[in-house]
Amino acid sequence: MSKRQKRFEVLAQRPVNKDGFIKEWMEVGLVAMDSPNDPAPGIKIQNGKVVELDGKLREKFDMIDLWIADHSIDTSIAEKAMAIDSTQFARMLVDINVPRAEIVRLSVGLTPAKILDVLNKMNVVELMMAMQKMRPRRTPSNQAHVTNLKDHPALLAADAAEAAFRGFTEEETTVGVGRYAPMNALSLLVGAQTGCPGVINQCAVEEALELSMGMRGLTAYAETVSVYGTEQVFVDGDDTPWSKAYLASAYASRGLKMRYTSGTGSEVQMGYADGKSMLYLEIRCVMLAKGVGVQGVQNGSISCIGVPGSVPSGIRAVLAENVATVLLDLEVASGNDQTFTHSPIRNTARMLMQFLPGTDLIVSGYSSVPNYDNMFAGSTHDCDDYDDWLVLQRDLQIDGGLHPVKEADVIAIRNKGARALQAVFKEVGLPPITDEEVEAVTYAHGSKDVPDRNVTEDLRAIEDFMKRGGNGVDAVRALVKHGFRDVAEAVLGILKQKISGDYLHTSAILKPNFDVLSAVNDLNDYQGPGTGYRLEGKRWEILKDIPQAISPEDI
Amino acid sequence: MSDEQLSKMIERMAQTKGVNVSPELLKEAVKRVVTVLSESSMSAQAPAHKGLDPKRDYPLAQKRPDLVQTSTGLSLADITLDKVASGKIAFEDMKIRPETLEYQAQIAEACGRPQLANNIRRAAELTRLSDQRVLEVYESLRPYRSTKKEMLDIANELESKYQARICAALVREAAEVYEKRGRLRRE
Repeated sequence: MSKRQKRFEVLAQRPVNKDGFIKEWMEVGLVAMDSPNDPAPGIKIQNGKVVELDGKLREKFDMIDLWIADHSIDTSIAEKAMAIDSTQFARMLVDINVPRAEIVRLSVGLTPAKILDVLNKMNVVELMMAMQKMRPRRTPSNQAHVTNLKDHPALLAADAAEAAFRGFTEEETTVGVGRYAPMNALSLLVGAQTGCPGVINQCAVEEALELSMGMRGLTAYAETVSVYGTEQVFVDGDDTPWSKAYLASAYASRGLKMRYTSGTGSEVQMGYADGKSMLYLEIRCVMLAKGVGVQGVQNGSISCIGVPGSVPSGIRAVLAENVATVLLDLEVASGNDQTFTHSPIRNTARMLMQFLPGTDLIVSGYSSVPNYDNMFAGSTHDCDDYDDWLVLQRDLQIDGGLHPVKEADVIAIRNKGARALQAVFKEVGLPPITDEEVEAVTYAHGSKDVPDRNVTEDLRAIEDFMKRGGNGVDAVRALVKHGFRDVAEAVLGILKQKISGDYLHTSAILKPNFDVLSAVNDLNDYQGPGTGYRLEGKRWEILKDIPQAISPEDI
Repeated sequence: MSDEQLSKMIERMAQTKGVNVSPELLKEAVKRVVTVLSESSMSAQAPAHKGLDPKRDYPLAQKRPDLVQTSTGLSLADITLDKVASGKIAFEDMKIRPETLEYQAQIAEACGRPQLANNIRRAAELTRLSDQRVLEVYESLRPYRSTKKEMLDIANELESKYQARICAALVREAAEVYEKRGRLRRE
């Protein structure tokens, strides 16, 4: 064009136009939730065995079909459930007069293509209504990422303390340098218990290492146990449904909570989507998880959000996969955990899909650190967005899991988290955390504000700690010895969760007094206005009281 | 043998070896022995408490602490900060035992979650494996790691050595599927 229209020139510079968009491309599976290659729903059962699934004969089943057919689908209800018209089923999902329990009873009789067909009948508002009714735990909650570029332990502890203090019930870390993993896990354990007793921590690394840290009591749960919707991608991920099922039981055998991770777009990204829609493949993952008997799934595209984010109806598909999870009575940690757009408007709109109805863990996780310190490649929201989040909660009277805090309290809790870890390092023979480091992390915005560690020394010491069998009890003893009895009591409280196993149940989180809140004793009972979780009473008083608000007396 | 008889016996044994035992330590030791004894007599049969009720019994830690013990026979109330700090209770004393997982499986079942219950029952079986062996078996189940015979050997080991019947069935099923789908290790 020889002469540009001035408005278009401005539009071209807008953040949203830095994003990547792509037209649907069915052959490679670049289609959100409705590919011509998706099979038609159908099931054939002979002698209690599934012999045909969505038009595919049993002889042709791949590993995932086999798992779903033999472990996930309840053949005693399948024919009845499959006979319900998809539009009718979709209406039941939004109908306040159909209780959650009735839908859960029927959903285990559906095939992947049937669930896809049901979800395709629903717009985003209806999907949100379904989420509000179907999420397993009545009380919504939120998860934090706690990481930094330097894997600085004292900074991790301070950030973990602050995140717990702000209201997150789960904290996830990972590593810059792989061998730091146990030290990061230990730093989160101590920091989180300082900030608020009962906040559980995980460290996302390779499967076997992650489990071994849990066995040592350095982590309290796991989440990044990935499953995929096509056999080739599953095997490329170095697992099978059977190895992953065994792993799920291995976690529970040590009293550790865990959930799987999957998400739309992963199969396209890894090159084997078989031309199926992203949502169809994701539903296979969720059904597989159901059959394994894990209590929940983290999905919502997760690290592949750029893929569904680029195609039409992609963000709707991401909400639909969250709904598929709760439809099957599984805990949902609903993503929102990776940057996918340059546009703040798009970013917020995407998040509202989970924020408005509430999910078990709305963001999984919310970056409690600056974007540059987020080692999960950046989340949709970070520590600089805390006040926006609090104001959105206040504007819409929605519980997004966080509460207003005072600066002085945050300074105190960050300092205490770092000092508690300093004590633990001293006792268990890890390289000292100096008073200067404690001071720096207390007031830091991010890792740019803290001194470098001697990485070689840190790594040698943490390897030695693991070799000599270091574990969570070492932390408890060190904390008692240095006068952090309350933190010690909290770390012990976490270790004791693994004895009773109460938090192995669906959607379990812990209250600050270590009472479990799960879809057993806090089952979602939403059935329209006046029911379900309501942000009211004392909790609403806390959430609406942001420090920036002027009171009438001040005017 | 009653607890009292047992504690006297342990005291005598300690004295003959010239070990000075505090009454508290003694009590702990007795508890552990009793648990081990009662466990071995129980292992052949299903736990006595059938069909827990989620409303009445969950969470176990608050509502049925009588049912919760560690693998070494301690109750939750036994595990105090002071005992952990002084070394009287070790990390090894804080492991979940199969009976507790069975109770949790019953609660999952009563909530209409049979798959979750089944996973927890597989977990109950795996409590009998060492950490090391749990990790090794996982590694063997990953694609292209094992021959069919190696997988069947693991299944037999799980069944005969650890009474892990549900896990053994899972491994046998995997061996069949891996063979069909070409995911076994090629020799």
